[in-house]
Amino acid sequence: MARIKGYPEALEAKLRDRYVYGEDTNGKFTETVEKISMSIPHMCYQCGTCTASCPSAPRSSYRIRKFVRRVALGLETEALTDPDLWLCTTCYSCTDRCPRDIAPTDVIMAMRNLAFKRDIIPVNFLKTVQAIYTTGHGVPNNDVNRAARVKLGMDADPPTTHTYKEFIPGIQKILDYYKLKANADRIVKEREG
Amino acid sequence: MAERKTKKETASTKDTTAAVTKQAPAKAAIGEQPQKAKEARVGVFICHCGTNIAGSMDINAVQDYAKTIPNVAYVDNYKYMCSMPGQAVIDKAIHENKLTGVVVAACSPRLHEPTFRTATKEGGLNPFKFEMANIREQNSWVHMHDQEGATDKAKDAVRIAVAKASLLEDLFPKSVPVEKAAMVVGAGIAGMQAALDLANAGIKTYLIEKTPTIGGRMSQLDKTFPTLDCSQCILTPKMVDVGRNENIELMTYSEVESVEGYIGNFDVTIRKKARGVLSVGEAEAMGIVGGGCNGCGDCEAVCPVVQPNTFEEGMKPRKAIYIQHPQVVPLLYTIDFESCIKCELCVKICGEKKAIELNKEDEFVKVKVGTAILATGYDIFPVENKTEWGYKRYENVITSLEFERLICASGPTGGHMVRPSDGVAPKRVAFLLCAGSRDNTGNGKPYCSRFCCMYSLKHAHQLIEKMPGVQPYIFYMDIRSFGKMYEEFYYRIQDEGAKFIRGRVSNILEDPGSKNLMVFADDTLLDRPMKLEVDLVVLAAAIQPAADTNRTRKLFGVSCSMDGWLLEAHPKLNPCGTTTAGVFLAGACQAPKDIPDTVASAEGAASAASIPIHVGHVELEPYFAVCIEEKCAGCGMCVNLCPYTALALIEKDGRKVMQVTEAKCKGCGTCGGFCPGGAIWMNHFATPQIIAQIDAFLLGGEQ
Ligand SMILES: Cc1cc2nc3c(=O)[nH]c(=O)nc-3n(C[C@H](O)[C@H](O)[C@H](O)COP(=O)(O)OP(=O)(O)OC[C@H]3O[C@@H](n4cnc5c(N)ncnc54)[C@H](O)[C@@H]3O)c2cc1C
Ligand code: SF4
Ligand code: SF4
Repeated sequence: MARIKGYPEALEAKLRDRYVYGEDTNGKFTETVEKISMSIPHMCYQCGTCTASCPSAPRSSYRIRKFVRRVALGLETEALTDPDLWLCTTCYSCTDRCPRDIAPTDVIMAMRNLAFKRDIIPVNFLKTVQAIYTTGHGVPNNDVNRAARVKLGMDADPPTTHTYKEFIPGIQKILDYYKLKANADRIVKEREG
Repeated sequence: MAERKTKKETASTKDTTAAVTKQAPAKAAIGEQPQKAKEARVGVFICHCGTNIAGSMDINAVQDYAKTIPNVAYVDNYKYMCSMPGQAVIDKAIHENKLTGVVVAACSPRLHEPTFRTATKEGGLNPFKFEMANIREQNSWVHMHDQEGATDKAKDAVRIAVAKASLLEDLFPKSVPVEKAAMVVGAGIAGMQAALDLANAGIKTYLIEKTPTIGGRMSQLDKTFPTLDCSQCILTPKMVDVGRNENIELMTYSEVESVEGYIGNFDVTIRKKARGVLSVGEAEAMGIVGGGCNGCGDCEAVCPVVQPNTFEEGMKPRKAIYIQHPQVVPLLYTIDFESCIKCELCVKICGEKKAIELNKEDEFVKVKVGTAILATGYDIFPVENKTEWGYKRYENVITSLEFERLICASGPTGGHMVRPSDGVAPKRVAFLLCAGSRDNTGNGKPYCSRFCCMYSLKHAHQLIEKMPGVQPYIFYMDIRSFGKMYEEFYYRIQDEGAKFIRGRVSNILEDPGSKNLMVFADDTLLDRPMKLEVDLVVLAAAIQPAADTNRTRKLFGVSCSMDGWLLEAHPKLNPCGTTTAGVFLAGACQAPKDIPDTVASAEGAASAASIPIHVGHVELEPYFAVCIEEKCAGCGMCVNLCPYTALALIEKDGRKVMQVTEAKCKGCGTCGGFCPGGAIWMNHFATPQIIAQIDAFLLGGEQ
């Protein structure tokens, strides 16, 4: 059967039904995203300035314009389950240039919030949560950095929670209030055992 | 009755140019009003407007209610009140019921006030005894889903209108004579066409142009879409016609300084900027035989001062004494006194022609015209404000207008299309459409500039035709090819090989060595970001109203829309008129327009502006303010308040009283609302009439 390796599966995938059906769209989703993002993605005229500005786009399959389109059409599941949702660097280049004065970055952030409510989130994002919980930093200092800092005549640790550890409980309190840490731990455990 | 007498006196002391007053309107003393209201017999006519009104409210309920309103003597309804049978209903009811006033509850006064005034007149009443109750635009259309609320609101509207109709008075429009001359401001293709039409209709026309030559933007263009005829070739014959036409008095290098008066009688002061050069005619008038500028250009050759030529978008030099291009009309040199060093070399070389006067100052000329047309055109949006495209930072990013000059045989490069950084012919050229148009960021223009799609197609064609092997790339969001033969033109350019990329360019980077440009965009149809290296980028920059438009429009009392374009009286039904009677708009000053639309609008404006002149007189709405002289304390505080300078203090019987120039008064009511002594009576919007309306609303008819 398998004349060319992987060919029948690839063909099958290509021949899948690709229509957008009425039931795929959810008008409420557009509304919710607009409310959270405080932006107006329904005004997008698909010029592509955002994708063309995006540092992620030429290095991945991430297309910000497509996400804005999905919001405008209310394609909730398609948007929230697409792993590309997590490839935005939040650099705000698209927001700077969008001629329709939309903030695509904030639209992405809104959708990430909604996805997280459904436990859709890559593990590395959760590990960042755990790092913040324990050290107050998403990317904590390390020995290589410390050495470099000392070489440049700075203190080994920056004047943050690294130096003032007494502030870490405050940060933990905030994260606990939103159950961020608990959820992160739970999901990481489910995925990694 | 004392007041009536005063009114007559006022009328007889009127400025005689202002009017043939048919009859001084009779006005009852304020104390007489309730008496008058008691005698009123008002007819109410309710219109269904098909289902426009009847679909959203209960017409019968409104009708039944109207019968209960005081002073109402007759009520009827009809499917279309504005139709001939509908009007006949009004006519008949007035006669049969001895009505003294008419209320039609229907659409807006703007739409049908004239219709129903005529019907009222047909019925034998003064046409101003009519009042409209708007139950469509302000009611049925906005309360489409609230039948009960709409019905109640219609009852209120009818009751209020009846209260006013009970107190309305006979009024008589004023007729003022119209000066048989017109003015056109701005001599681009719009102004030229309008002036030619007016002049050819036998009307003396003053054509005012702020630059030294007529022609406007069109004379900067190389070819014109979609027919590709040479712009100068079709324009110069018209320029010559304008220069020669006996009915056109051309004033170039001139600006409107001030405007006074009103339709039929505008007194316009024109500033003739110091040009420093005498025309042949001016020289003759000064007794210099055989003198004046003949355009020989000897002066230009000797002038030591070099400046950028704005006609060539700064890409070619000119001298301090200059003409902008060889085809200027009038062919007359101009001195740029800002840069002239008065070395007098030009004076010497000009010699016996004695054309040059280095000590010239601005002159002011006064003319009287009946109507005026504004045709002040457009400027290019400063596209360097969109920093991501690098205009003025990268040498090889140019605007489309610069492209026109570079590809034009009479332009700075003699028509050799080269890029600015190294004078080398480009091989790959990117055109950026909507460069600053359709932009809602505040740094840009929200509207479509309307001709950029088409001229960019033209530019792509010109490259392909002139320079085989050149590849034009057109970055677009939509191609708007809406005109006659425009879509066909798009087809043709695509067939010729232009590449169309549907995506807006996000940013451009320059290679500092080669000065080539990296253009970044999203090919939205491929759904892939792209990076394209090109030799030249052409920005189809947005356009905006010409620099001095705001000052000029204010002189003529013309409004502008939010984006600065001059405001027409009605976007569909009166696109050439303005809300100032006697002032019209032509061409791109009203909104972006290509040449066919510009010429059509210019001919429309010329036709509209000639109507009052041919009729010879105009009727003015009799809504003017009237001074009740017994009450006027002569304080004069109203005089400065009037936005139309219609008021003055005069001496009368040994004391000061206010006097209204009725033809100037627009009935805005500023003075009437202000006068501390209540000495100003606003015709048709008089205090007792308005108080009655407010009472009718607040008291629900239970006066
Ligand atoms: C790059 C480019 C290419 C184009 N190509 C084409 C084409 O191929 N085909 C086509 O149909 N259209 C084309 N157009 C559009 C065309 O230029 C306009 O349709 C046309 O110029 C409008 O004419 P106008 O008389 O209304 O305005 P303008 O040409 O702007 O003329 C206005 C005139 O009024 C004068 N003026 C301004 N203010 C005052 C004032 N306050 N007092 C006195 N005078 C004043 C100005 O000096 C000017 O002479 C192109 C436009 C651009 C930018
Ligand atoms: S830049 Fe703005 S308008 Fe253009 S595609 Fe992106 S979100 Fe839509
Ligand atoms: S903010 Fe996100 S989507 Fe926008 S340009 Fe940056 S990485 Fe791309």
